[in-house]
Amino acid sequence: MTGPLERVLGALLADPAAPRYGYDLMKAAGLPSGTLYPLLARLEQQGLVVSAWETPQQEGQRPRKYYQLTAGGIQTARLELAQASARRQRAPARPGRPVPGSLG
Amino acid sequence: MKPERPLLRLGEFLVRQACQRLPREVREERYREWAAELPAILHDPQVRPAPRRAVRMLAYAADTVRGTAMTPPVRGRHRATRVSAGLDLFLAVGLVLVAWDIWDIMRAPGHALNYLQLTWALLLVAYPLSILVRSAGRVTVLISISSPLAGVVVSLWNAAQAPGDWVNYLWAAFLFLCSLAIWLADRWARGGHPGSAGSQRVPG
Repeated sequence: MTGPLERVLGALLADPAAPRYGYDLMKAAGLPSGTLYPLLARLEQQGLVVSAWETPQQEGQRPRKYYQLTAGGIQTARLELAQASARRQRAPARPGRPVPGSLG
Repeated sequence: MKPERPLLRLGEFLVRQACQRLPREVREERYREWAAELPAILHDPQVRPAPRRAVRMLAYAADTVRGTAMTPPVRGRHRATRVSAGLDLFLAVGLVLVAWDIWDIMRAPGHALNYLQLTWALLLVAYPLSILVRSAGRVTVLISISSPLAGVVVSLWNAAQAPGDWVNYLWAAFLFLCSLAIWLADRWARGGHPGSAGSQRVPG
C-alpha cells in the first residue's frame, strides 16, 4: 500500500459514516487533486468506496460528489492500515531513506 | 467585473483539458465533479487571504491535468489489448509446435533432434507464460497449465527410455491436451480479456 492511499484511507476512516467530497479529502489527506481522484476512482472500482451526488441547496449551485467507505471498505481499510503500521514498526529505519507513507 | 469569474473560467478550462484525456463514458461526470469544487475552493473560509484561495483553486485545476496525464489514455488501452492478443498468438504457436514435436517424437523416438526441438518449443511457450504470470490472479492458472506440461516432459522422457511402450505417448498426448484445455477454458472464462481476473487487494 502506498503512502497516498494510506492517507486517503486514514481520512475516510476518521469518520466512516460521514460522506466526504473531493476538496475536503484533499485537505484531510494533504494530497493534490491529481493524486486523490485516481485513487478514489480505483477504490470505487474495487467496491471499497461508494459515491453519490449531493442535492444542491441553492439555485445555480453545482452539485458535489461525495465519497464514503462501504462496510467492506471500512474493514479492508482498517486491516490495511493496521498491516501498514505493523510493517513500519518491524522495518528498521535506514538513514537517507524516506519514511514509508511520507511520500505524496 | 469581479476577478472571480475569469479565474473560474481558467480553472474550468484546465479541468476540461484534463477530462479530455479520460475515456468518453466518464468524461462529463468527472468534469461536473471537479468543476463543482472550483467555486468551493475559491470561497473556502478557512483559507485566507483571497489571492491564496485563487492560487489554490488554480493549483487544484492544474493538478487534475497532471493526474489524468499519469493515467494511460484510451489509445494505450487499445495497445495493451493488441499486445495481449499478440502474446496469446505467441502462446498458441508455441503450443502447436510442442504438439508437432511430440508427434515427431512418437514417430521417431530415437531421433535426438526431435527432443531438442521440443525443448526449444517449450522455451517458446515459457516466454508468453512468464509475461502472463505477472498479471494478478494468474498464478493458479499458470500452475494448472504448467503441471500437465511437466507431465508431458516426464512422459516423453519415459518414452525415450522405452520407445516401444505406447502408453507413454498416450500419456504425453493426453496431458498436453489437458494443458491446452485448461488454457482455453481460462480464456473463455475471462471473456478474452487477460488480466481481468484481478485480485481483491486494495490498489496502490
